[in-house]
Amino acid sequence: MMTTTSSSGTAASVTIDTGEILTPNSSAKRRNIFAGIGEPVALIGALVVLIAIFSALNPRFATLTNLQNVLNQASLPIIIGVGATLVILIGSIDLSVEGVMAASGVAFVLMSANSRGGQDMGIAAFIVPVVLGTVLGALNGLIYTLLKVPSFIVTLGMWFIGFGIATILYGTDAYPELTDDNLTNWAAKINLGLPNVFWLAAALVVVSALVIRFTRFGRAALAIGNNEDIARANGMPVRKHKVTIFIIAGALSGVAGILATMQMGGTSNHIGEGYLFLTLPAVVIGGTSLAGGKGGVLRTFLGVILLTVLNNGLVLAGVSPNYQSALSGAILVVAIVAAAWSQRGRLRIAK
Amino acid sequence: MTKETAQATAPTLRLTDIRKSFGPVHALKSISLEINRGEVIGLIGENGAGKSTLLKILTGIYQPDAGKIEVNGKSVKFRGPRDSSAAGIGVVHQEQSLFTNLSVAENIAISSGTGHRTGTRFGFYNWGQLNRSAAETLNIIGSKLNPKTRVGDLSFVDRQMVEIARAIRVDAGKDGSPLVILDEPTSLLERGETEVLEREIRKLKAFGSVIFVSHRLDEIIRNCDRILVMRNGELVADRVTSTVTEDELFKLMVGHASHASKKSRTSIDSSATPVLEVSRLSLKGKYSDISIAAHAGRITAIVGTSGSGREELSRAIFGAEKFDSGSIALNGSKVRGWRIPKAVSKGVGYVPSERKVEGMVGGYSAAENIVLTHPGKAAVGPIVLPWKRNKIAQEWFTTLDVRPNDIALELDRFSGGNQQKVVMAKWLNDPNLRVLVLDHPLRGLDPGAAETVNEQIKKACDKGAAVILLADTLEEALEMGDEILVMRDGAVTGHYDMNVDNPSTLDLLERMV
Repeated sequence: MMTTTSSSGTAASVTIDTGEILTPNSSAKRRNIFAGIGEPVALIGALVVLIAIFSALNPRFATLTNLQNVLNQASLPIIIGVGATLVILIGSIDLSVEGVMAASGVAFVLMSANSRGGQDMGIAAFIVPVVLGTVLGALNGLIYTLLKVPSFIVTLGMWFIGFGIATILYGTDAYPELTDDNLTNWAAKINLGLPNVFWLAAALVVVSALVIRFTRFGRAALAIGNNEDIARANGMPVRKHKVTIFIIAGALSGVAGILATMQMGGTSNHIGEGYLFLTLPAVVIGGTSLAGGKGGVLRTFLGVILLTVLNNGLVLAGVSPNYQSALSGAILVVAIVAAAWSQRGRLRIAK
Repeated sequence: MTKETAQATAPTLRLTDIRKSFGPVHALKSISLEINRGEVIGLIGENGAGKSTLLKILTGIYQPDAGKIEVNGKSVKFRGPRDSSAAGIGVVHQEQSLFTNLSVAENIAISSGTGHRTGTRFGFYNWGQLNRSAAETLNIIGSKLNPKTRVGDLSFVDRQMVEIARAIRVDAGKDGSPLVILDEPTSLLERGETEVLEREIRKLKAFGSVIFVSHRLDEIIRNCDRILVMRNGELVADRVTSTVTEDELFKLMVGHASHASKKSRTSIDSSATPVLEVSRLSLKGKYSDISIAAHAGRITAIVGTSGSGREELSRAIFGAEKFDSGSIALNGSKVRGWRIPKAVSKGVGYVPSERKVEGMVGGYSAAENIVLTHPGKAAVGPIVLPWKRNKIAQEWFTTLDVRPNDIALELDRFSGGNQQKVVMAKWLNDPNLRVLVLDHPLRGLDPGAAETVNEQIKKACDKGAAVILLADTLEEALEMGDEILVMRDGAVTGHYDMNVDNPSTLDLLERMV
């Protein structure tokens, strides 16, 4: 199989009719046809099918109110997903999301007007949690690149460090609720037909898509994900880019912690729970390769929407919460297998 | 050491007394050389002679301990690859160094500085300019590639064009001429593709100079104006090509004359059952109706271009790929459910062309690799006895002259030639080896290592194995083969018994294309 990489030039004429064994040549041809569009088209197709099914099951599904509701729910995973996508593009992983969210969420609530009393610090209540996320992200990146620990391990540790910070800050007092209604209502408030928080998420997706497409930094991320050694040999500041990307991911987790707190109207140290295991599958279903170098935030956007619609639809279809978790897990596995299906031929070719 | 070339203009590159040590190892001991505009220099030497260290210094990856580098008459210091590339030195690496997920244009531009001409300014891409600039560069080397194509979708030889384009990129070498280093560019190319590359080298001469590194001495002699020979970190010869022969070069590189013995041809005992009998094997779209009878002690060389189906066929014999119809028989009995584990247990060995990917476990020590498939006396049931393993490995290291002589070292850290020796040892360690399938066994090996590997192939024959050989070159096939099978478009178009026939390379070529 491997040897044929060197042969596509002359072999083309004999490889058109391949049986069931997929050769690199023919998969290269398939890639040419579907390059870049195959997976998004499949995703949108799956989304349409889901929407059709759920609409048939419950008339309340296909309403503007429910659309606003879905987008409101999808926004945080999208924001986290942007950071996660960047990290996965360079071939790393960030598991610290939930811990960072917890730390920033608790910091935010304690610095805002809340039911425990204390002081409302105004704008600082927003800045400090984001800075906290940035610092944790920077630590992730620095430990990962300087001490050469796998990002999987570093960020797993940082998850619990963040959670620990949240627990300490939270202390033993009663559950702190935000007392300012402007804060608690902001995220879901409708502007131009869609919730505020969704506009924020969408803007972030657009900006980061442009950064990946049009800046040296974005292209370098793809290059690093494809082959770090070559990137280094080409004089790219690999370490700097990696740390920067972990900082961005940390800051976005910090923002997500604030927004989650605003949505909940208060927070505990468990505010981040469940987000990581919605976001990472969404990134993968979107078609960003865990091996790095391939994918993008628009794909992640679609992935998150797909999973959110799925969860929302199951609720509206009246599926018992007891079955929901197992069912959405099963659908997730199927979806990931389907997303990886087009790549199975490629797995046989070495990089 | 270098011959003074009296020329008014400064040489493209001048090195004076370059030294580099790694700990106690003197990788380069006082290298001085000059390369003039329009010259194609051949650089040869065995693995470990210091070639790669020298190249890494020229490309800014290593900094020399002492010595002076001058490019176009100006003294330079390379702190990193960007400096070297800005000075107009570009490399085409042995192992391709392109980003397969990015476009041709991006790959060409990626290591360039920021600026309007390259299409990147203030960290932003101007895709239009980037693509135009790439097209311009590709045009110089006469390539019609579309700059927007994803590199992963290109053939190997096209990727090499991209590498060359990157090496001579328009913004590089604004003053003076570019120097392109081709680091074993042909080691992975098929014959026709090599010709494309050689044409490219002639084009490069028109506006720059070339350092051509290769293990194939015939290629060096065909393409270069001057040849530099390195041995043990020193430049031992600097010759004008017309004054040397291949044999002389071999002697200069290795330090002794080639003692490769001509293989004595083994004739078939027609009454004996062939060790391996392939009957009417077919795989749709790849090959059809192929029959081979391989006898003990004989080498069957299969020649053909890259679309001929010979690679797929050889993999089918090892059970690495399926086939649609036909059968494979070992010692007269048909095999069923032919898969790699079965093939291995029946004494079939396979040396793949992609050594690093399929042939070895790079993170394991050399000793572990040797006993990987056939532990022999090293294992009692499932338990491997380290002391016995080490003893076996050490014997192989001595027999094959593997360097460095350290069986505990991870295989990744050996040079290609020495890795290949270990891969060979892994199969030769099977006392019941019956069939050895070799896919480009000499690929990327220096002449010394190639000689050792060839000797081992002959030894395997002597011990009664039947060898299937996919040779790098027709010459190699003619030299090694007892029997030659020519394939074209999945069918056998020629069959020679070397005891009776005496085909020339031209005869083979006619049936290949």
